[in-house]
Amino acid sequence: EIHEPEEVSVWFREGSSCCQETLARNQRFTETPVNMPGADKETDLSERIESFLSELKRCGSGAGSLRGSAETARETTALLRRITAQARWGNAGELMEIIRKEGRRMTAAQPSETTVGNMIRRVLKIIREEYARSRGSSEETDQQESLHKLLTSGGSSEDNFRQHFTHLKANVIEAINELLTELEGTTDNISMQALEHIHSNEVIMTIGRSRTVEAFLKDAARKRKFHVIVAECAPFCQGHEMATSLCKEDIETTVIPDAAIFAVMSRVNKVIIGTQTVLANGGLRAVNGTHTLALAAKHHSTPLIVCAPMFKLSPQFPNEEDTFHKFVSPHEVLPFTEGEILSKVNAHCPVFDYVPPELITLFISNIGGNAPSYIYRLMSELYHPEDHEL
Amino acid sequence: MAGKAGKQSRPRKAEKDEEEQPLQAVLVADSFNRRFFPISKDQPRALLPLANVSMIDYTLEFLTSTGVQETFVFCCWMSSKIKEHLQKSKWCRPTSPNVVHVITSDLYRSLGDVLRDVDAKALVRSDFLLVYGDVVSNIDVSQALQEHKQRRKMEKNVSVMTMIFKESPPGHKTRCEDDDIIVAMDGKSKRILHYQRAQALKKLHFPMNIFHSGSDEFEIRFDLLDCHISICSPQVAELFTDNFDYQTKNDFVRGLLVNEEILGNQIHMHVTRDGYGARVSNLLMYDTVSSDMIRRWIYPITPEANFADQEGQSCTHSRHNVYREPGVSLGHGSQMEENVLIGRNTVIGANCTISNTVIGANCVIGDNVTLDRAYIWNRVHIANDVKVKQSVICDNVEVKHGVVLNEQCVLAYNVVVGPDITLQEGTVLSMHHPDEEDDEDEDEFLSDDDVGYSKDKTKQKGSCSSYFIMLFQNEVHGTLQRGLDENISCDNLVLEINSLKYAYNISLKEVMQILIRVVLEFPFQQQGAQISTAQYSSHLLPLLKKWAPVFKNYVKRPQDQMDCLASMEEVFLERETHWAALVKVLMSVYQLEILEEEGIMRWFKQSSTTGKSQQLRRNQGLLKFIQWLEEAEESSEGDE
Repeated sequence: EIHEPEEVSVWFREGSSCCQETLARNQRFTETPVNMPGADKETDLSERIESFLSELKRCGSGAGSLRGSAETARETTALLRRITAQARWGNAGELMEIIRKEGRRMTAAQPSETTVGNMIRRVLKIIREEYARSRGSSEETDQQESLHKLLTSGGSSEDNFRQHFTHLKANVIEAINELLTELEGTTDNISMQALEHIHSNEVIMTIGRSRTVEAFLKDAARKRKFHVIVAECAPFCQGHEMATSLCKEDIETTVIPDAAIFAVMSRVNKVIIGTQTVLANGGLRAVNGTHTLALAAKHHSTPLIVCAPMFKLSPQFPNEEDTFHKFVSPHEVLPFTEGEILSKVNAHCPVFDYVPPELITLFISNIGGNAPSYIYRLMSELYHPEDHEL
Repeated sequence: MAGKAGKQSRPRKAEKDEEEQPLQAVLVADSFNRRFFPISKDQPRALLPLANVSMIDYTLEFLTSTGVQETFVFCCWMSSKIKEHLQKSKWCRPTSPNVVHVITSDLYRSLGDVLRDVDAKALVRSDFLLVYGDVVSNIDVSQALQEHKQRRKMEKNVSVMTMIFKESPPGHKTRCEDDDIIVAMDGKSKRILHYQRAQALKKLHFPMNIFHSGSDEFEIRFDLLDCHISICSPQVAELFTDNFDYQTKNDFVRGLLVNEEILGNQIHMHVTRDGYGARVSNLLMYDTVSSDMIRRWIYPITPEANFADQEGQSCTHSRHNVYREPGVSLGHGSQMEENVLIGRNTVIGANCTISNTVIGANCVIGDNVTLDRAYIWNRVHIANDVKVKQSVICDNVEVKHGVVLNEQCVLAYNVVVGPDITLQEGTVLSMHHPDEEDDEDEDEFLSDDDVGYSKDKTKQKGSCSSYFIMLFQNEVHGTLQRGLDENISCDNLVLEINSLKYAYNISLKEVMQILIRVVLEFPFQQQGAQISTAQYSSHLLPLLKKWAPVFKNYVKRPQDQMDCLASMEEVFLERETHWAALVKVLMSVYQLEILEEEGIMRWFKQSSTTGKSQQLRRNQGLLKFIQWLEEAEESSEGDE
């Protein structure tokens, strides 16, 4: 009774351009139409999940990932929408169970890519909200209720998700579509705030290549003249790409080696960086070299601004060592062609740095500027406390 | 069963065929050699664990990540085990992007046989990847594939194969000694002009015509590691069918280059910089590739990625490349120094020192154990105070108290060692008798890549040459027999023996030893082993006389005489009852001037090593003969 192919296909047609794009991309793998009988639909779904998982496992041979985390976030959400539409479930509890199960596999596939887990938590929160709305209770009371339950009974609130609502599926899909639209606009929303932070003739330092920072600087360059210093970010030197890209927009750009960060810092008015993840304590997990940069900025009392869309906010804390780090092939540090020396030394090539919250002045997200101390509050708005552990 | 899966997927793919063929791969899950013997006796090489994952899974992961959609796995040795493994793995799940077909036959004896079968069954439709089941790689071949296709489009069907190499200069530990090659190539078109294995060669010859082939840019490279990954066009399979003597890829490449002008086929190469690719072709490579894996050179294929998607194999990665699967327990004071991988539910005792080591699942390791570069597979029990250095310990082995394994030891399946034993460097212990498989050897040697695996090189080489000597002995016997029957002249016999000598690569000294043995045993061969001494000598003496010129050809220097006598002694030591005949033989060879008295005297006075040969010298007849010789010498001196 759950499968409503007509309705599903309508939702796909109404989806944003991104959704059609993903659809088109996915169509490459299987040429099965959206409308098809139940059994085939399920194998199609699991095929898609598998291909997404293997893509996650393989992505990111260098620093960061080959595609931006914004794209990963969108793909994850689109896949979750597909699961919602195509999987077999009768009530919100079952759907959440399915999403949790697949979510655990997705996060395990690439633990360093926290966006995937974040999007899963967002969708779980959406299901909770939609369920609560269908039941008639307002969002406000629901949250209070859950806080209360957390203290008293703990974890048993899922029993309440067993009720069946006919429109729940449509509502959840609609809410996920809204989330997708929000994801689409994040970079634009952040770069819109550029003029408030960058003034004429300022010297701005950044490190490596962040798509968000790139858009942010380019947006400011339409009105203001300023100078950007890019730390090259060895060993992958994404800074070079960043500088080339900025130059094309007629921004005065200088590339410096990472070792010169401290020496140059005294001339810098502002440091603007991107990040891979914003941790629950307001710290960062950012590309290698960011900690050095942040310390130098602190020493010179230069403000450090982090451009981070909301989907990078993760309920993870920095002490969870297992998944925190990502070590890639030491090829960039010590080339494979070096020969004999390789058997005598151990070379490591970590990708991320931890930057403690006290070194950060301001976060700029798609919903405005926030201090690191405010992150915990945003966290509780975005995710349900019971979903922190998938 | 795999075939069924293939049929299901075919109609879906049929639509695609018109625009673009799905990429196919041929995976040869058999090494056709015995480098891993005796381990490979119990388990095919493709299933041996490398960093706790079967090698074939790495190969399939490589193929899948490079975009292969259909893989044919060819197995011969223990094919049922490989099939079973694949059916359980994620590759045979319906969701797998890479459809795996398993094709088994006991008749495959070499790579050539497999490719001939590929051609006979018409399995490949367009360009395909050819790999072995023990290749570990993360190379993205799409660029090479594109270049290959481009070349094939530009000049229709001229380029048949693109071989993939990795830069690694001499002295690099991932360089496999077996695969040292010299390649001469055209710098612009990347066409291979000359290809030669360089192991142990001091001089290299390049044919002049490669420098006249029209290009003005050449590269001669010795810094390449063959990844054993090649992009082949369907013609490769056809060429193997046309040339039924091609056994290995080496034969194929060399054959093609030699006949390039006639057939017009070319081979190209692609050198990768970033990717990692190596074949686990012997235990030394096993050591290196495992350590490269642990040191994350093959990222994103790392132990914690759990790409094979096996239940309970997810491990964590922490500082100094220490990987732990769930359920590992470590005793008080034990240290995992660096580059360590420990499988699930393994228990390690107190005060152990572990470095550069891989330990499988469900092992129990006692107290005060030191492991360095040890590769310990599953369910191994190691007692207290054991030291292991650079060794392989297979499944279910029990190592008792106080055992020390020096470098390059191998303990094959189910072995129990100890207590308190020190194993010498390079010891191989197995439940199988080393000669058990000698009969099967004959076939396998054909395709063996002819370099001993250096860990047990001596052993390999030894058995190999003794095998050739045996063959040579049979041939010499046949030749002499024919010589007798057809009355062939001695000069021609010498000629035949010499050509046999080259065919079997036998040294001159060995030729003489074998000749002596064959001739002395000739009467036994003809008349049966039971003949009396008198019958024996009456048969032998005319033969000696007849073949005297043959002997004279080989016995020239004083040293030759000593060798000759030594081998005579050896033959007679085996046949105690015929010692009386020795004198007659010596007498006749002396008279035939094959041996001189000085030589015989020197041999006689030689301090013999064994009691038996001393006994031989005390033989009555022999003593008389020696006495006679001495007198003859004196009298000849007196004459002067």
